[in-house]
Amino acid sequence: MSKNPRKRTIIVGLSRLGSAIAAKLSEQGEDVVVVDKDDDSFRKLANTYSGYQLIADAVDIDNLEKAGIKTAKTVIVTTDDDNINIMVAEISAMIYNVPHIFVRLHDNDKSVLLDSTNIHAIYPFLLSLAEFENIMKKEEKNI
Amino acid sequence: MKIVIAGGNIEVDYLIKMFLKSNHDLVIINENRDYCEYLSETNNIAVIVGDPSKTYVLDDAQIINADVLIALSARDADNLVVCQLAKRVFHVKRAIASVSNPKNVSIFMKLGINNAISSSHLIAQTIERLSIIENLVRSLLIEDEKIVITELVINDDSYVAGKAVKDIDSSFRFNISCIFRDPEVIIPKGDTVIQTGDKLIVVSSAIDQSRIVEILQRKRDNE
Repeated sequence: MSKNPRKRTIIVGLSRLGSAIAAKLSEQGEDVVVVDKDDDSFRKLANTYSGYQLIADAVDIDNLEKAGIKTAKTVIVTTDDDNINIMVAEISAMIYNVPHIFVRLHDNDKSVLLDSTNIHAIYPFLLSLAEFENIMKKEEKNI
Repeated sequence: MKIVIAGGNIEVDYLIKMFLKSNHDLVIINENRDYCEYLSETNNIAVIVGDPSKTYVLDDAQIINADVLIALSARDADNLVVCQLAKRVFHVKRAIASVSNPKNVSIFMKLGINNAISSSHLIAQTIERLSIIENLVRSLLIEDEKIVITELVINDDSYVAGKAVKDIDSSFRFNISCIFRDPEVIIPKGDTVIQTGDKLIVVSSAIDQSRIVEILQRKRDNE
């Protein structure tokens, strides 16, 4: 390992969002590892992706350590399961003190569990709602 | 007590019957609609159908201020979220999670859920204790496995048989809290003499257990 202890980015869950972020960061030259327990999911990765790939269940800390969580500066959690996302994000924050953590959650009622942590959550539901309200405002002006 | 059982399979039915016998107030939440119907019919209680890791389901189930919640899903992440929501949003006094992966017992503790139970962890612990200790009747770990209560029987060739409690080798700290000498129960003092056949209840730190048991079971010839 290099002297700079934290430079790795771990992406857990190759959903459409996870795969897109993986490709983007890899193109920018970041040290990226993608983790997914389903072999098939790796097909979603773009050809431009040149980082590491680990087929494993991220809810097991041994696998997170294999992915290099001890030297991670960023963990991005984008599986399709909110509860797994919360658990992986909390482990990253509270056990491994990862400085930057992003998590995608479908259920915004669960945001309460992330209060007083450094975990940043992205809620597609809230983004869609805001976008809908934006569009409606524009439409109303045109009427 | 108001007890909430979230998720789980066959064990739920057993727990319901056990808790109903001791007149506890039960709230059952399960995702499997057919199983909910079965539980409700056979035990004559209300069962809430839904995913207990959703706040609106916990809300419907009125778990607020319950005394205990037990999360029994087969998926550890679900149980973690259910227990955290129960404690932080619904002010449930104690949340107990079953975990499939024994490594998660200590992970859950670090994430604020102090009561995680793993059957494989318990079995491993029991086997380990049983195999190191001969004549051990029972051993119980408490306080995050730091304190152990050991129950053992004194044989006639043991060096402690006939000795007063204060004369036993005290190189490791332990406390003989109770002596069971059928039918008597004795709370020993320093001058209480231990006899063959006595059953001792010993409290000690868990890391010293094997050495303390070794002292108490030392054969007379070795002295």
